[in-house]
Amino acid sequence: MKKVIIIGGGAAGMQTALRLAERGIEALILEKEAEAGGKLRGWHALFPTFTPAEEVLTELRRRIEEKKIEIRTRSEVRSLTPKSVTLADGQRLDCDAVVLASGFTLFDAAIKEEYGYGLYDNVFTSADIERMLNEGRVARADGSAPQRIALLHCVGSRDEKVCQQHCSRVCCITGVKQAMELKQRFPEADIFNFYMDIRMFGPGYEEMYREAQQKCNVHFVRGRISEAAPTLDGRIQIKAEDTLTGRPLRMSVDMLILLVGMRANDDSAALAESAGLQRSPSGFMAPRDHFLHNVESNVEGIFYAGTVTAPKNIGETLNEAIAAADAAADYLNE
Amino acid sequence: MKFYAPFCLPFIIGATAMFAIVLGKWLVWLLRLPRADKMLILRGLPSRATFGAVGEVFCESLLHRRIFRVNPVLGYMHMSLAFGWFLLISVGWIETVAHLGFRYVPLQGHVFFKYFATSLEHKPFFDFAMDLLLLFVLSGVALAWGKRLRSKALGMRRTTKHVLGDRIALSALWFIFPARLLAESATCALYGGGGFLTGSLGGWMHDRIGMLALMNLESAAWWFYSSCLGLFFVALPFSRYMHIFTEIPLIFLRRYRLRSGEKATSYDRFQLEACSRCGICIDPCQLQSVLGVDNVQSVYFLRDRRYKMLRPEIADNCLMCGRCATKCPVGIDLNTLRLNSRNRLRNLPDKRRYAYLKETDRSQGSGKVGYFAGCMTLLTPRILQAMEQVFTAAGEQVWWADRDGGVCCGRPLKLSGETDAARKMMRYNTELFRKHGITTLVTSCPICLKVFREDYALEGIEVLHHSEYILRLLRTGRLRLSHGDTRYTYHDPCELGRGSGIYDQPRAVIEAMGQLLEPAETRENALCCGSSVANTAISDGQQAAIARSVAAELEATGAETIVTACPLCKKAIARGATKEVHDLAEIVAAHIRR
Repeated sequence: MKKVIIIGGGAAGMQTALRLAERGIEALILEKEAEAGGKLRGWHALFPTFTPAEEVLTELRRRIEEKKIEIRTRSEVRSLTPKSVTLADGQRLDCDAVVLASGFTLFDAAIKEEYGYGLYDNVFTSADIERMLNEGRVARADGSAPQRIALLHCVGSRDEKVCQQHCSRVCCITGVKQAMELKQRFPEADIFNFYMDIRMFGPGYEEMYREAQQKCNVHFVRGRISEAAPTLDGRIQIKAEDTLTGRPLRMSVDMLILLVGMRANDDSAALAESAGLQRSPSGFMAPRDHFLHNVESNVEGIFYAGTVTAPKNIGETLNEAIAAADAAADYLNE
Repeated sequence: MKFYAPFCLPFIIGATAMFAIVLGKWLVWLLRLPRADKMLILRGLPSRATFGAVGEVFCESLLHRRIFRVNPVLGYMHMSLAFGWFLLISVGWIETVAHLGFRYVPLQGHVFFKYFATSLEHKPFFDFAMDLLLLFVLSGVALAWGKRLRSKALGMRRTTKHVLGDRIALSALWFIFPARLLAESATCALYGGGGFLTGSLGGWMHDRIGMLALMNLESAAWWFYSSCLGLFFVALPFSRYMHIFTEIPLIFLRRYRLRSGEKATSYDRFQLEACSRCGICIDPCQLQSVLGVDNVQSVYFLRDRRYKMLRPEIADNCLMCGRCATKCPVGIDLNTLRLNSRNRLRNLPDKRRYAYLKETDRSQGSGKVGYFAGCMTLLTPRILQAMEQVFTAAGEQVWWADRDGGVCCGRPLKLSGETDAARKMMRYNTELFRKHGITTLVTSCPICLKVFREDYALEGIEVLHHSEYILRLLRTGRLRLSHGDTRYTYHDPCELGRGSGIYDQPRAVIEAMGQLLEPAETRENALCCGSSVANTAISDGQQAAIARSVAAELEATGAETIVTACPLCKKAIARGATKEVHDLAEIVAAHIRR
């Protein structure tokens, strides 16, 4: 029986393994963390349907168990070739093909020092909010309920100053989703989204954006926040420009939420170098081409699934994992 | 004795034209100087500054001492040409006097003395001395040829790309001394005499060349020599060789304390034309070494400005880091000239601009010590927070000028050439400082520091960079720091180091907390982070490329933490570094002992 190693046990990795099993190919998932699930583990609900992330994850795990697919956790990959994968501890695992499904790294908001993340109380990232929603308790640092919340789009995306030129795509809709979730918890709160553009590319997204404005009364201000500073009463004062009215504005908010972008996985550079894989200028892996070979790498026998090549949402990732598994299976059956 | 032959004509015409043009230029530039500058000259003339200038002219214009310091081989090349030629002229004059006593001899009589002196008895000492000097100059010419072919051999990675006028003058200059050797040797071949060089070569020619051919050769050689001289002299005032005669008055004027300013004056002409286009400024330029931008360096900027073909994209494409200025053998004030060119290209006085400034006092607190964060520190709030901790630990009462937002110090606008708008900001801030009665002004931004010290009228208010202020707190015991075994390396910000001469204070503060490792290029030679507000031409990606090269050099020290003392440098280097990058204040705040 042919064997494929899948690097990364997130949504992409699990779906790839399932498809490979259907095609009669043995799949081994290598997961760096202590538990499979990837970024989905920290997420609360998925746009645009508010489906609990846990629901998707539980089903994927159930199928993996059903098919008896092996997941090796705490297994960090040091290098790879189409026929083998070497782990950080030096152990070499042989295989017939590799699918790289190692995902992305979340942009570190502390790099945008001017927003004060990690410096002032009450500055959060979108990932923090998901965690708080999961924990069932969204609150300011002192435990009080926020009266006014600002969400800032494009933190670490489309920003030359931090060498991240690309658009992370899903943060716009995440901002809308979180605004609605927060509005539900704090119906009295004023919620503002500060954006450059609103990019509603997926099915149901535009409708959700409209609903946020019309039904939930979430405010959208076109303009990025230039800097944030703490006030004496522990709030955050933000400076921004409303570029539609052309006026600078200052506002004190109880919570500032930074919608952090997806950047290329920190491990991608080393893996690419070990296998001779090409990367795009953004640092993400470059597929062989964007149309007919978009799940294949430039190296025969190495395939890509999910956000290792570019920011994607969960639906796209799950679809692409099937395509990658099929490409790998076809390659092995040749 | 008659001191004229037809071949002298090119020389006579050339020399006359040159002296007329050079004197004319000097006169026009001097007359156009601002009144205050003229007064400085009048006051300086009878002072000791004049003697100092004479000495400096000897050391620099003839011996080229500053080039020696940068590069000894290059220094020798320039010295052999300048000082050697000067000695040829002066010893030649003494030779004439030795032969003929003190009587009038026309200029060409001195220059072509060998040609006219065939009937005079030989003086072996002068034959030897003049040949030795000619050899000295020829060795310089040989090096110049070598430099064109292989600049690396002379320690220069790159040399200047020249304009046509320069090429004509350069070619003429290269041939002057070989032509002189040939002409004098030919004369020696016909009439005997000459030293070890011309005499020997003459004897060799005498033995091998027929009389008639030799006579033709002699005539042709003297024509060629005279023509080379004439061509060089005519081209000189329009070429880079104008520096020979411009550096002399420049040295005097500089000693009389004339300076270039943010608005162009006639004094700038002396600086512009004193540039010899030696190209020493090219190698230190990081735009050249990292980005491969090779048409914006000071040598090209000065050239373009001199010939009135300066384009904004050249004037704007400079980090104004000052690395080239520290190496300039003529000591030209390169940054100020760049600045007043930008002023001419971009200054747009508009009365209505910045009219809103008067309503913007958002300062907080009160105290004799004022703290001005500046725009960049407001964008790096960890520094601001660290300064707050330092002030608290020292028990200082602080007036916060701009913590809640304020008016820019004005330097970025000044650097971009919008000097009048910058002045509005400077006036506003000056009034603000006065209104709140501070006696000390601390800033953590070297860009603000430089403009406060140089352009603000802040008599009675001491302006300190936070590195100076923190060191003072340490020395007076108001602040105590714990010492650990972390190894730090320090990046000199341009505006703080070369710009304000502050090198030791931040180092002393770091050494109070841990070990300091110096990068390969440090202090006066420190690299620029690449994100200088002075450059509005390069792209963000190019800034990041420079940052990566700087970070690599800093990380090569093996230090665990990179420290700098400028919020802009911190932000810039962090983009290219794998190690932690912090401002000095952050490190200090983390080491405060209570």
